[in-house]
Parts: sequence; C-alpha cells; structure tokens
Amino acid sequence: MKFGLIYELSTPRPFARETQKAVFEHAIEQVVLADELGFSSVWCVEHHFLEEYSHASCPDMFLAAVARETKQIRLGFGIATCVPAMHHPIRLAEKAAFLDILSGGRVEFGTGRTSTWNELGGFNACVDDTKRSWDEYCRVIPQMWQQERYGYQGSFHTMPERNVLPKPWQDPHPPLWVAVTGHGTELDAADRGMGALILSIADVERNIPRFEAYRERVKKAEPVGAFVNDQIAVANWMFCHADGRYARQRGEEMVATFGYMAGQTVEISEAYPASNYTAIGLLGTLRPDPHAPGEQKLPPSGLCFGDPATLIDTVGRWEAAGADHLVFMIQAREVVAQQEVLDSLCLFAREVMPRFDAQASKRFAGGAR
Amino acid sequence: MKAELLYGACLAADMPAPRTRIDATHSDDVVLENVQVHYALFEVPMAAALACLPVSLHPAVPAHLGLTFWRCDGGPLGAFECAWIGLACRTGIKPRHLVHAAFVDRADVGDWLARRYGFDCRVADVHYRETYDRLQGRIVIDGQVLLDTVTTRMQPVVGAGASVKYSPALNATRVGDAALMVQMETAYAFKRVIRGTPQLPVYDAAALGNAQLVATFPMSGTHAVVDITLLPPRFTADFAVPAESGGAKKIAR
Repeated sequence: MKFGLIYELSTPRPFARETQKAVFEHAIEQVVLADELGFSSVWCVEHHFLEEYSHASCPDMFLAAVARETKQIRLGFGIATCVPAMHHPIRLAEKAAFLDILSGGRVEFGTGRTSTWNELGGFNACVDDTKRSWDEYCRVIPQMWQQERYGYQGSFHTMPERNVLPKPWQDPHPPLWVAVTGHGTELDAADRGMGALILSIADVERNIPRFEAYRERVKKAEPVGAFVNDQIAVANWMFCHADGRYARQRGEEMVATFGYMAGQTVEISEAYPASNYTAIGLLGTLRPDPHAPGEQKLPPSGLCFGDPATLIDTVGRWEAAGADHLVFMIQAREVVAQQEVLDSLCLFAREVMPRFDAQASKRFAGGAR
Repeated sequence: MKAELLYGACLAADMPAPRTRIDATHSDDVVLENVQVHYALFEVPMAAALACLPVSLHPAVPAHLGLTFWRCDGGPLGAFECAWIGLACRTGIKPRHLVHAAFVDRADVGDWLARRYGFDCRVADVHYRETYDRLQGRIVIDGQVLLDTVTTRMQPVVGAGASVKYSPALNATRVGDAALMVQMETAYAFKRVIRGTPQLPVYDAAALGNAQLVATFPMSGTHAVVDITLLPPRFTADFAVPAESGGAKKIAR
C-alpha cells in the first residue's frame, strides 16, 4: 500500500488575493513535507469555474511548482481533461512530457472528462462526446510520446505528421490512469490497461466488487500505451490525531464543507440529460441523495479520520480489499489550520505508514521527523 | 479560518407574502399516467438570482431557471396542462427550484395544486406540444403571450430514467399560520425521453414574476413521457434559517 495526496485547491470566500495565494502556498508546503515523510504521490485535479470547490485550473503548473521543491514524490495529473473544447491532445502530451523532464520522470498521467455543467457549459463543450473524445485522447497521446513523428486522423482532431516535443523522461512513457466515478469506468480503465483512480468515495466493502472486476478484466487488457498499469488508487479523506474523537470532528467538518461547496455546482445529470453521464460524480457519494429529501446518509466506512490505531485498521481494510494506493484529501476550504494539517501528516507518516510501507518503516527507524 | 458562505440576499421580510395555504393532512399518493413533461433550463445572471433568493437558500452555480410544463390527458385530476418557472437553488445541499410563477388551464386543478404543494397558479392558456421536429410550450393570458419556448435538434436519450433528474419545485406558502417553503414530492417512472436545445422566443420576465431573471444561455430542453406519483408534502424550509442550521423540518401529521 502506498499513500498520496490529492489537491482541489478549494478556497474560502471572499476570494481575496491573499487568501488565494495562501491556499496555494499551504498546499505546496504540505507536499514538500509529504515528500520528506515518504508519501508516494501528489495529484492535482483540473477544474474550471468551480467557485470555492476547486480553483485548480492548471494542475500542470501546480505540479511543476512542487516538482522543483521535492525529490521523490510522484506527480499526478488528477486529471488531464480530454475534452476538445478545453485541451488539444498535443498540448496535453507536451505538458506531461515537459513536467516529466522537469521532475526527473515522476509524472503519473491521469485522464478524464469532467462531470459538471459549470465546466462543459462554460467551455461550450459537446457533452455527448466527452467519453468518445477521452477514448481518442488516451490512444493518441502515448503515440505522440513514443513515436518520433506521429500523425493521425481522428474523430475530434487530425494532425499531419509532426514530432511532438519534448518526449517524456520516463521510458517508454508515464503510467496512464483514468478517473473513475461512475460504475463501469473501472472496466474502461482495465480494457485499456490503465490504472483506476477511483474518485467515488464509498464504503470499503462496496468497492470490493469493483476492484475484483477491474483485476479480472485487466488480465485481458489491450493497452493503449506501451504497458499495462495494473493499479488501483482510491481517493479518501484523512485527518490523523492522537485524540480520535477530535480527529473525527475535524474530518466530518471537512466532509461537510466539501458537501456544501460541491452542492452548489451543477452536475451534468442536473443540467443536461445525457446517456454518457448516468452517474452522479464525486459529490454524490459524499452527501445524502440530493433528490431524496430528508434522508441522512452516514459517512462511508472507509474514511481515514481517527487516531493512528483506528487508521491502521481502516487502511488495512482498504489493503485487504485490493487497493494499491490511498490518495488523501487533507483540507477543504482551509477549515483546518495549516499546522494541524502538517501535524496530521507527520503523525500518519510516523505511526500508520510504516505498517504498510516497508520503505517508510526504514525511514522512521533512521530518525525522520 | 471563518468562511463566508454563499446565500441568497433577500431578507425574509422582503420575500413576497405567500398567497396559498397547504392542507398538511394530505397523506395519499396520486398517480398520473403518461404525463408529457417538458423541462427546459436556461442560465440567468448570478446577481439577479442572488437578489431574489431568500437568505436561507444557497444558489446553484451557475445560476439558472427551469421551465416545467405538464400535459396530462386524464387520470384522477382529469385532463389538464400546467407550467411553472423556478429558480435553481439549494436547500442545504439539495437541488430545488424556487417557483416564482405558476400557471394552469383549470382553476380546480390549480386549487388542488395550491392545497397540496402551495403552488400559486394563475389560470392561463397553457399549451405544450411535441411535434415531429420541436417541442413548443406557450403560456397565454388574455391574448398576451407571456412565454413561448421552443426546443429543437432533438435526439433520444438512452437509459432515460438513469440520466434525467428533475429538481423538485419549492413553493412559498403557508403551513398553518407560518409562511414557509414546501417542496413538491414526486416519483417519476420514465418511459421515453428526448433532449434538444431550448430557445425562448418570448419571455415576458416582468409578467412572469421577476423582471430581473432574464435567460442568458440555453442549457437543455427535454421531453419525457412519465408516470408521476404525487406524494404527500413532507418537508418545509424556512425563509430565514438555512436547512443546515435547522431550517428544514418534517411536516407533522
């Protein structure tokens, strides 16, 4: 089991310049510490127009900033949006390769297609085409990285033969991932030999069938890249504190804040009925059914809020279920003080991580903070 | 860090006084079969939306309004057509449409909708039709067209029930003596859905209850054939107290 962080860069109102900068600086400070502590990856989402919820419109720039201040931690696009109105596939290939060189080969290339009207409507994108464009992008981008010169005629873009530069540092190319929210997307990932970055936070037990289906299906993958990235990463929340009750309180505060922020966004299912958006996104897994009034939904059982012993148990259940990575959200609109976030990371790394990661165990035996 | 949350800006005292009163003793389900439902969404300016939402509701971002037409050709209420216009909002985190104009072509059905869910319906010529190439909804009072909406470029939506979400209507009404908001409670069984691009050739914003809410960008327009179960009202929302602070309450029976 490996551990990572994922950033939305959620920002409290009012959107003062100083507040915005503080959110960015706090996140970078957290990642630098996480790198020292042995966390294996940091992911940055790509969202547009999502007030408060996420101001992370340029994940490649955030990752470039942390790349030069860290040594080991891997840098995940969480995700690169494969929608023609938002990005050309050549630009995504270039940016990922560029970052791979800057970071000495630490890029994880997550792909996806967004799930809100805020974004797809804002870019005047064709909602009905996003799954097909995602499929095309994931097939052509690895070719742009691997072939000296490449050209293609696709449904969304066509390019004459060109040498897309630079090529990535990793040989043959960075690992490929897919953001998974709706049921069935894990199978799309498996079919293409891509890792499943599962963003629908749910009970451990409910995820087991998805993990099993992915593992079975990926055995027969026809990889879109040069290799099969047979990995499952699961987004989660984490706040670790010696006082378990306090940790749960802070954690629930983050989840409630996230629900409030995400609740104001307009998911595609609310705005634009489409056959390729039958599932509610990440939001829906964290709040009561928005269309069923009154019912209170209990938090999922696998959230990592608690004292170290509790988290060892929770992480162990995720490991037994088949997750390879847990990728933590550790802040929501700055509701937790920065020092508490840093302390939580340290405590987790010292008390929990060594139980699951042999390298982390050696690191702390050697006196890391 | 103490955060500033985004709410509507209209004080409870400045909200229009409700003119309907619900009968909270309603406890029966009413099933309307094969109702033709048209649901069209348009973005509106955020500043205008915030100005007319009460301080207890969050806006949807981006701000938008929904036009809903029902054409019912028979059943327990008889044949009728009705329509309402609502502004997208959130009670807590739940999507709702706060209704600011409602119309029906039969006064007795209007009375029933008022007692059941607090709709403040004006009697009008409500006319919704699906034709071979378009959906057309129109509201006319005394010969004046208040609203004319046309949806074209239709295409079927596969797996309709899974991909169509109607935000429930929320009406300002009285429950007993208290001025509150009451949510329309419905369950839908979809039989067919098509979707297209809506336009608003006529939208008399002032006559439709809010001169500031002018459609600026089309989102989607759907036509569905649906069996609708009208459930008894269950929840009220306060004009001043947000749902997350206890402003949403279950109706006692």
